[in-house]
Amino acid sequence: MALSETIVRWRYRAIPDHLLGEVLAKRWIDNAIPLLILVAVAATFGALIPGFFGMSSIANLMRQWGEFSLLVMALMIVMVAGGIDLSVGSTFALGNIVALTLMTVAGLPWPLVVVLTMACGAAVGLVNGLLVGYLRLRAFLTTLVTLIIVRAIVDMLLLKYSVAIASSFIDADAWYFLGEGTVFGVPFSVWLAAIVAVVIHIVFSRTRPGWAVLATGGSRRSAHNVGIPVRRVICMTYVTSGALCALSGVLFASRLGGAGADTGVGLEIAALTAAVLGGNSLGGGRGSAAKAVIGSVTVMILVNSLVRLGVNSGANSLLLGLVLLGAVAIDVRWLKNRHKLLSKVYVAPTYARLPAAPATTAPSPYAVNDRLNGVELIGLGEIDGPEDVILDADDNLYAGNRVGDIIRFFAPDYTRQEVFAHVGGRPLGMAFDREGSLLVCIGGMGLYAVSKAGEVRKLTDETNRSLLSVIDDSRLRLADDLDIAPDGRVFFSEATTRYEMHEWPVDSLESRGNGRIICHDPATGTTRTVLKHLVFPNGICMAHDGESFYFAETWACRISRYWFAGPRSGEVEVVIPDLPGYPDNINRASDGTYWLALVGMRTPTMDLALRRPGFRKRMARRIAFDEWLYPNINTGCVIRFDDTGRVVETLWDRKGDNHPMITSMREHKGHLYIGGISNNRIGRLKLDGMDAVWTGPAAYWGSK
Amino acid sequence: MKLLKTLAMGAALTAGAGAATAQGIDDPTRAEYYDAFKGKTVAYVPVAMGFDLTEGWAMGLRDALEPLGVTFDIRDPNWNTAAGAQAITSLIDEKPDVIVVHNPDVQSYARLLKKAEDAGIYVVQVNMRSSYSTSAFIGADYVGMGEAIGQRLVDLCSPSNGASGKVAITQGVLTAAASAYQMKGINNVLEKHPEIQLVSNQAADWDSTKARNIAATVIQQHPDLCAITGFWDVMDVGTAAAIKDSGKDVYLLTQGGGNQSACDGLENGTYDEVVVYNVPGQARDMANMIKQLMQLNPEPGSMKTTLFTQLEFLTKDNMKPGSCWSLPGQ
Repeated sequence: MALSETIVRWRYRAIPDHLLGEVLAKRWIDNAIPLLILVAVAATFGALIPGFFGMSSIANLMRQWGEFSLLVMALMIVMVAGGIDLSVGSTFALGNIVALTLMTVAGLPWPLVVVLTMACGAAVGLVNGLLVGYLRLRAFLTTLVTLIIVRAIVDMLLLKYSVAIASSFIDADAWYFLGEGTVFGVPFSVWLAAIVAVVIHIVFSRTRPGWAVLATGGSRRSAHNVGIPVRRVICMTYVTSGALCALSGVLFASRLGGAGADTGVGLEIAALTAAVLGGNSLGGGRGSAAKAVIGSVTVMILVNSLVRLGVNSGANSLLLGLVLLGAVAIDVRWLKNRHKLLSKVYVAPTYARLPAAPATTAPSPYAVNDRLNGVELIGLGEIDGPEDVILDADDNLYAGNRVGDIIRFFAPDYTRQEVFAHVGGRPLGMAFDREGSLLVCIGGMGLYAVSKAGEVRKLTDETNRSLLSVIDDSRLRLADDLDIAPDGRVFFSEATTRYEMHEWPVDSLESRGNGRIICHDPATGTTRTVLKHLVFPNGICMAHDGESFYFAETWACRISRYWFAGPRSGEVEVVIPDLPGYPDNINRASDGTYWLALVGMRTPTMDLALRRPGFRKRMARRIAFDEWLYPNINTGCVIRFDDTGRVVETLWDRKGDNHPMITSMREHKGHLYIGGISNNRIGRLKLDGMDAVWTGPAAYWGSK
Repeated sequence: MKLLKTLAMGAALTAGAGAATAQGIDDPTRAEYYDAFKGKTVAYVPVAMGFDLTEGWAMGLRDALEPLGVTFDIRDPNWNTAAGAQAITSLIDEKPDVIVVHNPDVQSYARLLKKAEDAGIYVVQVNMRSSYSTSAFIGADYVGMGEAIGQRLVDLCSPSNGASGKVAITQGVLTAAASAYQMKGINNVLEKHPEIQLVSNQAADWDSTKARNIAATVIQQHPDLCAITGFWDVMDVGTAAAIKDSGKDVYLLTQGGGNQSACDGLENGTYDEVVVYNVPGQARDMANMIKQLMQLNPEPGSMKTTLFTQLEFLTKDNMKPGSCWSLPGQ
C-alpha cells in the first residue's frame, strides 16, 4: 500500500467526519448556538465585572430577568405563529400605568388589579389579533402602529394620573411581594416566569393548540389545509402576548411603582433581540420557551453588565442593535443554509479497501453461466419487489411487496394469491419461528411477528442506546434480515443507523460500519445490540451447529460467522473475505451448505472509489444525487458455500431476462425460490441433486 | 569666665528658640481628614450622561473627590428608568460608600433608595428628589422656584399691564420632582390670579422635539400668547425654535443649570429669561456633604440634610461675564 494511501486510511480512521453531520442533524443544534453565545457573554462579563457570579449579583439579575423574560416569551409566542409583535414594550408600559392607577387612584384590591391589568393587555392583543389574524394586515406595520397608539394612551393616562400616583403610597405587602418578594430565596417574578415558561413548553410540545400554533407558523397554507383555524390561532397568539406583557408590567409596577414616561421605551427592541438571539425564527414555526429563556438571559446579562461597567450613553443601545443585527443574520443564514450544509456534510465517506475481486470466468467457482434460465415464474407482474421469499410447512409461498403487504401464494401451483397481512412498512427479511408465526423485519418500523391467522404484532422497534452515539441509535431505522436461534432468540441485522430505508444506496457511498446486529429475546422481551460497526449487515442465517450464524456485510463484500453460544461464544470469523459482488440474504441449503444472494457485482471503478474517500466526498457535495457513483446492483447471482466458506456452485442469469438482481432465495423441496427487491416476479428453479423433501421449517424446528 | 558661660547659654537658648520656630505645628485633623477618604467609593446614577447638568455635577464631584483618593464611578442609565433601577439595585449589592442619585421621577427609586440606606450606603440626591428623603438633598427649591416663576408670569402677562394674560407651561416628565413640585408652586400663585389664563400645560418629557411641537401648536391656537415657561433650557431650545418660527413675540422663561449655553441663549435671544441653579455650586455642596458624611460616619438615614440652591433670574440685561459656567472644551 502506498504511503499516501496509508495516510488517507489513518486520516479517516482518526477523524470521525460523520459526527459533524450527525450533530447538525440534531434538533437541539438550534439551541446550541444561542447557548454558546450565552456562555460566551456570561464568561466575558464574568471576567470583566468582579463579583459577577456572586449570589447577590445573580439574584439581582434574576429579578430583572423575571419581568423581561415574560415579554420575550410573549413575543416568542407571536413569532412562532409567524407574526411579530412590536407593541410589547408599549403594552408593558400600559400594564404598568394601568396597574398603578387601579391600585392608587381606584384603590382596588391587588388580585383584581392583576386580573384587570392582564385583561387590558389582552384587549390590546385582541386589537392586534383582529387586525393581523382576521383582517390579515401586515404584522410588522400593524403592531408598529399599535406601539404608537398604546404609547399615546399611556402618555394620556400619565398626564391624567401620574402625579396622583406619585403622591400616593400603596399600603399592601402582598402587592409589593409580586415585584420584590422571594420564595425559597428566589424572586417571585422568576418563579412566575419559570412557571409560564414550563406551561408554554408543555403547550407547544404536548398539546393540540400548541401544535396548531407551530403548524401555522411553519406553513400557514398547509395549516389551513389540514383544518387548523389559522386566523383564530394567530389572533389568540396576540391576545396571549398582550396578557403576558401586561403581567410583566404589573411586576414592574410592583417593583418600582414609578409612573415614568420612559417605562418600556425601546423594550421591544431588547425583547426582539432576545427572542431572535435565542434562536426563535423570525419566519415562524421554530421557537420554544427554552429559546426565549436563553435569549432573555443573554440580553439581560448584556444590558445589565453594560450599565454596571458604566459605558457611555448610547453604547448600550448601539450594542443591542448590533447584537440584533447579528442574531437576525445568523437566524436567516442558519435557516436558509442549515439543510444545505447538512446535505453537504452529512454524507461522510470513509476509506475502505476491498480485497481483489475474484474472477467470474472459468475456472473460478464464480464463473458466469446460464443456470437460472430454466426458472418458472410466479406472480409475474403481480408482485412488486419481493425482497425476501419464504415457504411454510404447507408449501405456501410468502413474499413482501412495496406497498407494505405480505402476499401469500398458495401451493401447489402458486397462481392464487392473497394479502396475508398488511404490515404498513416495507417487509424485508422473513423467518418462521417454532410456532409457525412469520417474523418479519420491516424497513423503518422494526421487528414484527405475523401469526398464522395473519395478525400483526410488534416485537421490537428499539434497542439499547449507545452511550457515545450522537444520533439516537435506540430507534430501528432499517431492520433488514433475521434468523432465529434454537433457543428462540431472534438475531436481526440493521443495515445502517445513519440513513432511512429509501436512502440505503447512500450508505454505500460511505462504506463505514454504520450497521449492527441486534438480538431480541421474546422470552424476556428485551432487545440488545450484539455487534456494532458492521458495513451494511444484511443477510443472517443460522449455521447448522445451532451455536452460530453467518452474516453478510454488503458493502464490505464479505461473509462472517458469529458464535452466540458454545465454546467460541462471542467470536467473529470472516468466512468469505473477497466476494466478487455485494452479498444480500443467506439461507440454508438442504445438504448443510448455504445459499447466498449477490445483489450486484463489484466494479473496478467503485472499488477504486472506495479507496478515495475525498473523491466520494467531493462527488456527494458537488453533483446531483442521481448522478453519484453507486455500486452496481443491476447484475447479480446466487452462490452456495459450505461451512468453511468454499464456494460450491454459482447460478447466473446471464441475459438478465428474469433475475438480473437477486436479494433472496429459499430452497424448498428440491426447488429454489428467488426474489429481488426491485423485481416483479418470483423465480422457481428445479434443483438437480438436492433433497426433494427438505423444507426450511423442518430443518429449523423439526417435522411435526 | 562666668560672663562667658552666661553668653554661651544665651547663645544656646537663642539657637534652640530658632529651631523651634522653624518646625511649625502639625494640623491635628489633617491625617484623620485624609484617612476618612482612603479607599472610599462614590457611585453616581444620573438620569443620563451627556448634557450640561449631569456632566457638570460629575465634573465637580470628580474634581473634588478624586484627589482625595475617592473612587468615582458613573452608571449611566441613558434616560431609562428601568436601567437606572437596575444600576441602583446592582450598587446595593456592590456597596459603594455613597450613591449620588438624580431621580427621573419621585416614585421609581424611592424604595430602592431606602434599601440602599438600609444596606449602609449614604444616598445623596441631586436636583430632582425622590419621595423618600435620604441623607442629603442638594438642589433647587422647586416649590419656591415655581412660586417665583408664577409671580414673574403674573408680572409679565397680567392684563392690567396690557398683556393678554395667556401663559403656557411646558413641563418635563410629569412625575419628576422638577415638574411636580414646581407646578405646585406655580399653582399656588396662579390660583390667586384668575386674570392669568393657563392655556396649555403639557409634558415634553425633557425632549426638545416634543417641546417644539407643543409650543408650535399652542402658538397657533393662541396667537396672542404672552409667555411660555419651560422647565429646562435644553428642552426649551425646541420651544424657542417654535416661537421663532411663529414670528410672534412670546416671552420664553426657562430654567437650567446656568451653563454657558444659557447665557449664549440669552445673548442671542433664544431665551428671554433663565432661572439658574448653579451647577458647580451644587456639585460643591454635594462634595461637601459627602466629605462630611465620610468624616462623621453617621448611621445612614439618621441624618437628613436639605441644601436648597440659591436661584438667580438671568436676563440679557442683568447678565455679566462669568454669570455662566462652561464644561472643559466648551
